[in-house]
Amino acid sequence: MSHPQILPREFQVLAVLVLLAFLAWLIRLVRSQKVTLRDSLLWVLSTVALVVITIFPSLLLRLARALEIQVPSNALFGASILYLAVNLLSATIANSVNAANQRRLVQECALLRGELESLRRDFAGRARTAASGEPSKPPART
Amino acid sequence: MRVLVIVPAYNEARNLPALEVQLRAVAADYDVCVVDDGSSDDTAKVAAELGLFVLRCPLNLGIGGAVQTGYLWARERGYDAAVQVDGDGQHHPEDIAAVLGPIRRGEASVVIGSRFLSAGGFQSTAVRRAGIRYLCWFLRLRCGARVTDPTSGFRAADKSAIDLFARSYPSDYPEPEAIAIAIRRGLRIAEVPVHMVDRAYGVSSITPWRTLYYLVKVSLALLMLPLRRMHARREPEQA
Repeated sequence: MSHPQILPREFQVLAVLVLLAFLAWLIRLVRSQKVTLRDSLLWVLSTVALVVITIFPSLLLRLARALEIQVPSNALFGASILYLAVNLLSATIANSVNAANQRRLVQECALLRGELESLRRDFAGRARTAASGEPSKPPART
Repeated sequence: MRVLVIVPAYNEARNLPALEVQLRAVAADYDVCVVDDGSSDDTAKVAAELGLFVLRCPLNLGIGGAVQTGYLWARERGYDAAVQVDGDGQHHPEDIAAVLGPIRRGEASVVIGSRFLSAGGFQSTAVRRAGIRYLCWFLRLRCGARVTDPTSGFRAADKSAIDLFARSYPSDYPEPEAIAIAIRRGLRIAEVPVHMVDRAYGVSSITPWRTLYYLVKVSLALLMLPLRRMHARREPEQA
């Protein structure tokens, strides 16, 4: 199945080893819960796809022919750039969602601090009126 | 009508005392809430010492996030109207009544205080005025808004606008986009003349490069409005 004219065998072995090492790293990150399974999914699937292409470069050749790319290695570059772009975009999406969530949480935190502050004021006010023997008034609204 | 004055403040500890004096003159009519946007100076402490009510953001959110915090508070406390007044002393609290006018009369849901409708005062640099004219043109093109000062942060919102802004408010350089969002929701916009002065202490966050970024960012935001609207509709109502 291998096409030495596309990818030399030495390169194939090295590339597969590097990709497998990368995959092992990914799996370790998931198992040690530094990356969630959901976020790792795209990386794992696309890396597995790269391993398949490296082992069977004829796929690459067919892709190059189908797209009428003269030099098959350019199909490889194209595929790699797509691989990086897709993974980067998915990371960007996750980042934007996180930023929106963080903003909401920070605001909630500010509102709760405000609520606490106004409760403290009410409480201090009532304690003062109680100490001076006057009937307690309903709390002032902030 | 219960009115909340929202004062977004980022490192404005030195400008707040003067603002407080001006606010005190009109304070009987309104509740004031300073939103400390994660300042690294004593903004929150100074505001509290001045007796102002403070909402403290633990992190810096940027002006949009800070202003929205104020709108969230206004919604939670059921205010009938909210007025944004910058914490840097650019805006005069005595103009608050004027900015609230169209809302009291039921003529508009969002009112913008425009420095270009009044003579004199701080009119900004020529480059920035050109940028503002471009934004006016773009806003009119994109959603038919006829405003003269789309970057003004001096504005009032009625209950429906408070609800809208509490739910969706842009993050950085939010002013022109907020107008577009309001118009898209079918809210009426009005403008009234106000007087503005240059800040007393500190530097404005807007440098020439930032002005360019401002224009590009706001243009893109205005171009992408319909998508954002769909997104906002899908967003679940927060309690």
